[in-house]
Amino acid sequence: MLKIPDRQLIINRRQLFKLSAFSGAAWLLNGCGTSLYSPQVQRIFEPLNQSIETKILNPTQPVPEFPISAIEPNALLINTFDQTPVLDPATFRLSIDGEVATPVALSMGELQKLPLTSMVIRHVCVEGWAAIVQWGGIRLRDLADLVQPSPQARYVYFQSADGYYESWDIASVLHPQTLMAYQKNGQPLAIENGAPLRLAAPIKLGYKLSKWVTKITFTSQLATEKGYWEDRGYEWFGGI
Amino acid sequence: MEASKPKTPKGLKQAFFIKTFHWLNIISLLLMITSGLQIYNANPVFGGRGGWLFPSLVTLGGWLGGGRHWHFAAMWLFSLNLFAYGVYIFVTQRWQHRFVSSQDLKALQTSNNPKRKNYSWHRLAYTIIIPVLLISIVSGLGMYKPAQFHGIVWLFGNNWQTLRVFHFITVPTVIIFSLLHSALALKVGGDRLVKSIFVP
Repeated sequence: MLKIPDRQLIINRRQLFKLSAFSGAAWLLNGCGTSLYSPQVQRIFEPLNQSIETKILNPTQPVPEFPISAIEPNALLINTFDQTPVLDPATFRLSIDGEVATPVALSMGELQKLPLTSMVIRHVCVEGWAAIVQWGGIRLRDLADLVQPSPQARYVYFQSADGYYESWDIASVLHPQTLMAYQKNGQPLAIENGAPLRLAAPIKLGYKLSKWVTKITFTSQLATEKGYWEDRGYEWFGGI
Repeated sequence: MEASKPKTPKGLKQAFFIKTFHWLNIISLLLMITSGLQIYNANPVFGGRGGWLFPSLVTLGGWLGGGRHWHFAAMWLFSLNLFAYGVYIFVTQRWQHRFVSSQDLKALQTSNNPKRKNYSWHRLAYTIIIPVLLISIVSGLGMYKPAQFHGIVWLFGNNWQTLRVFHFITVPTVIIFSLLHSALALKVGGDRLVKSIFVP
């Protein structure tokens, strides 16, 4: 009698496992040196990470500062996406508008009459370097008091003279250490660092700290354009 | 005559959860290291701008933004897996007998049995790597949220470069460990031991 051999499995469990492991590894290795699926990864995980960093931000508590002796003048590198605009401080006006009760356009003279807040904090760049720097300027919170944003305003846009633009959550804008700075390391702010006015804060990554700011707009809606670097794939909240 | 089922080799079984933790650890570490080197290249820890760059072959993400997205995604897999492993070894009391012990350390000093010593080295290696992984997490969190987690930065002397160096050094440490660990496992238990941790 002819014995028909038992039908063999085409592939047993161990072989399937091996095959999957190698296929998975090959697929992933194919991504090395590429931006394999990073937009998709961002889409899945940025909301999760953002919800956490929103929660851990204490909107009223200052973060610890440093002594003046800790300042690292050479560590603050200069980055700019395009040209360096040269603004005339005599004719410069900072416009604050949007969903506010009283929009204003302030000259440097008027700005420097407002209370000067000084802080020595760590500036952290998304690239990975950091620098301890003294910033002097006006609290955004004090500027907000001048214009009285509506309770619906949840976001703030910052427009810069070189075309750079940014948007922040209002809680971070009103944080006590968020300044419009015109002083750096005890000296008047230099043009390459953003003169006459730049954002300075210890709670956001450097790309969110716009230089050469000309306009601040309070709004209840984020536009599709959220920031120069954000529109190119960096995180929006950028909290540290 | 019936075809007989192949018998599974006697003895060497690892717990299902341990194999899972081990596999997920390898996969997540690969993602963390490759995306981490992508981030490194944006401003090298050693040399800053103008410092030596890792070849793109070992990077994941394509550019700094992409590297960050992968890094801050895989960190969830990596850390949650490690912490689940931590819970597991306490709940099952594996910590009492599966890690390096005082007898191992004694054997390393006084034993004349090479097999016993190799076994001790093996246990020592896979014990020590755990604090290394924890350091990578803590230092990473310090660099990710240095203002909100300023306490972590304080642990590293409030010094940014120190923080960066500690975080980066875990990479060559893990790579060297992986090579030693694989060699030791092979030496101590041969193919059977290696298969037992990888194959379901």
